[in-house]
Amino acid sequence: MTIFKTGTTALVTAALLGGAATGILTAAPALAQETVQLEIWSRQDVSGPLRAGNVVKAADMLNAALEEEGSDVRVEVVVRESPAQGFDDDALALLRAFGIGEGPDMFIAAHEWICAFQQDGFALKLDDYIEKYPEHFGTIFPSLWDSTRCPDGIYGIPQDAEARMFFYNKKLLREAGFDEDFITAMPERTLAGDLTMDEVIDIAKQVVDNTDAEYGILHRPNVGPDFSMVFGAYGNDFVDPETGNLLINREDLTAAFGWFERAVNEGVIPANNTSMDWDAIRADFYANENSAFWKYGIWDLGSYAFPTFGLPDDEEGFFADWGWIAVPAAEKGGQPSTLTHPIIYGVAADTEHPDLVVRLLGYASDAELNTDHAVTTTHIGIRPEQLEDPRYQEAWPLARATQLLEIAKYLPNEPQFADLNRILYTAIQGVESGRLTAEDAAEFVIDEAEGNLDNVIIE
Amino acid sequence: MKSRAWWRQRVNFVIFLGPAILLTVFFFVVPVLIDIAVSFTDLGRSLRVTRFTTEHYERVFGGDRRLTDVMALTFIYVLGTLALFNVTFGLVLALITTSIDKVSGGFFRGVWLLPRMSPSVLYILLWVWVVNPSQYGLLNQILMTVFGLEQPLDLLTTAPIALIIISNGFIGASMGMIIFTSAIRGIPEHLFHAARVDGAGSLAIVWYITLPALRWPISFITIYQALSLLVSFEYILLLTKGGPFYDTTVYALYIYRRAFQSGQYGYGAALSLFLIVIGIAVALLGWRFFDMKRLLQNPRIEVQ
Repeated sequence: MTIFKTGTTALVTAALLGGAATGILTAAPALAQETVQLEIWSRQDVSGPLRAGNVVKAADMLNAALEEEGSDVRVEVVVRESPAQGFDDDALALLRAFGIGEGPDMFIAAHEWICAFQQDGFALKLDDYIEKYPEHFGTIFPSLWDSTRCPDGIYGIPQDAEARMFFYNKKLLREAGFDEDFITAMPERTLAGDLTMDEVIDIAKQVVDNTDAEYGILHRPNVGPDFSMVFGAYGNDFVDPETGNLLINREDLTAAFGWFERAVNEGVIPANNTSMDWDAIRADFYANENSAFWKYGIWDLGSYAFPTFGLPDDEEGFFADWGWIAVPAAEKGGQPSTLTHPIIYGVAADTEHPDLVVRLLGYASDAELNTDHAVTTTHIGIRPEQLEDPRYQEAWPLARATQLLEIAKYLPNEPQFADLNRILYTAIQGVESGRLTAEDAAEFVIDEAEGNLDNVIIE
Repeated sequence: MKSRAWWRQRVNFVIFLGPAILLTVFFFVVPVLIDIAVSFTDLGRSLRVTRFTTEHYERVFGGDRRLTDVMALTFIYVLGTLALFNVTFGLVLALITTSIDKVSGGFFRGVWLLPRMSPSVLYILLWVWVVNPSQYGLLNQILMTVFGLEQPLDLLTTAPIALIIISNGFIGASMGMIIFTSAIRGIPEHLFHAARVDGAGSLAIVWYITLPALRWPISFITIYQALSLLVSFEYILLLTKGGPFYDTTVYALYIYRRAFQSGQYGYGAALSLFLIVIGIAVALLGWRFFDMKRLLQNPRIEVQ
């Protein structure tokens, strides 16, 4: 009995040892190769699905490079998609995720938010990494890095750029009595500082008065960056160059609200523009010939105008009946402008693999991949070598919009700017719906800013 | 050694009252305590507390210039919805649907219950379509094709307060309707017959028999619905987003805008605490005004 027991024990032990040995042998290669999961936070956004998509693709490139280097590490990208409606709501959700220690390894954000992440210690300072990997970051347009800069350094990698403008419908302008020379000269006159913001209202009013079009100018119906172009035209830069703090100038602010007030009083901007639907607005401009101007951005052509509303996507066909102007100066001889609003990649300060994340984002910023994003969604590229790409050259809106970059401004990279922007939008809604005069609106903004934001300078 | 009855009493207490006490503590008491704690911190958009402060209360009591308008609007909204719909219209529905035949009455009550039974997002999406300011909105389609209106109406801009009262009232009326209907059904039928024999008309019957019998249900609905309107904002958020400007930002929505749209959680918590205080004050005033104590006291006559 004892012998039997011993024998059984021996057999079992041998089997276990054998099994373990086999296990060790078969597990050996798996142990040697370590797969690191890197998570990217990305907003679901039809105007830029490749922002995250390119990072997923870049994992193969990074893995190939790691294999070549003889490294046993491989990366796998996990995308965490946020359903937020806009980049502001998305950034707030991401701040909360970081706040409770559930942040990703890297994220996609609108550039003006980066210093909010930096201020709370959620974003990694990237200056050393950018220097370490010139093969990835060396040729990115130097001016784009400004959009990712916080007081003590660079905290993001530019992902794209764009230009925002007033699109206009030439057919309606012709119908309203403007001759061809006037219509084709508008972009040049704007760049020369000859066409003013008030003249845009005048042109739009003629269209409303003399055609069947209901509206003169339409703008987005929710909070967003493009309103700052109008504020910028009236001298509102919102940042004190000396301290870097937010700055509000009552007079300039009143002047900018005055433009919205006049536009509504002239029947040019509808009083309910902020409660209209996106779809209805686009349909009114692109399909129903119901508005002379549409203040938005270049990517709208690739995202909606060509595919959804069937506008001619060849350059000649498009400019036959449509056009765009930069944001005019407030007064003759002044400075026109456009807004470029780069989207950026950020790296989490607490990621366990900062080097891998930065390299991954470096590959995702590769000229080829970035051009995929640029040409499919009409966003401007980030490197000069993209300009040589035949696909990029064929995408004529990009080349034309790039011309505007000379006069492009950024939103301020101040951690509280997004909050101020929301206050400004509420005030615009107040002015347009007749609840506030321009003066009241400026007073409202100052009051809200003083009550809700820190260190705001009021002039 | 404790007696068996003593143990049974303790066990019964735990079995019957335990779950209710736990629910009350976890879902009512603890959130209020957390709210009080948060309201004294600088909890901001990244959910971090760096210091304790009383500045949120300074803002509630004087620093926030928007708050007076918000409270005035809340008063109009609560009173308007109560007076027009939750009590009055609920009462009208109950009176009408109990005075017609049972099947039709049941059918109409069912129809008026639909808004309450539909998911809130679906219900409001229908409203968004009805009041869409373009010619594609249902209301505008009817007004323009049937009544020949030339320009589409934009109620979201021109009458936003009326809109939030109506859209909330359509849901609120059904609660009063149900309670009042059951109360009317509880009135002994011989009273109606006796009144008829005495020559009373329909209005006199409602005035002298039905309404006095509805005193307690009306008092209850008024207090209960006032409190519920005070804290509800989801329909307004979905329909008008509190706008245009601050036109339809009632107090509860104001808390939401401050806390979740601006990330000022500390201030939001202070505002919420103040709302709890307002709620308690409204409940106590209602209690006093309607003399609810009498409703809840033990009956003086015990019918065996």
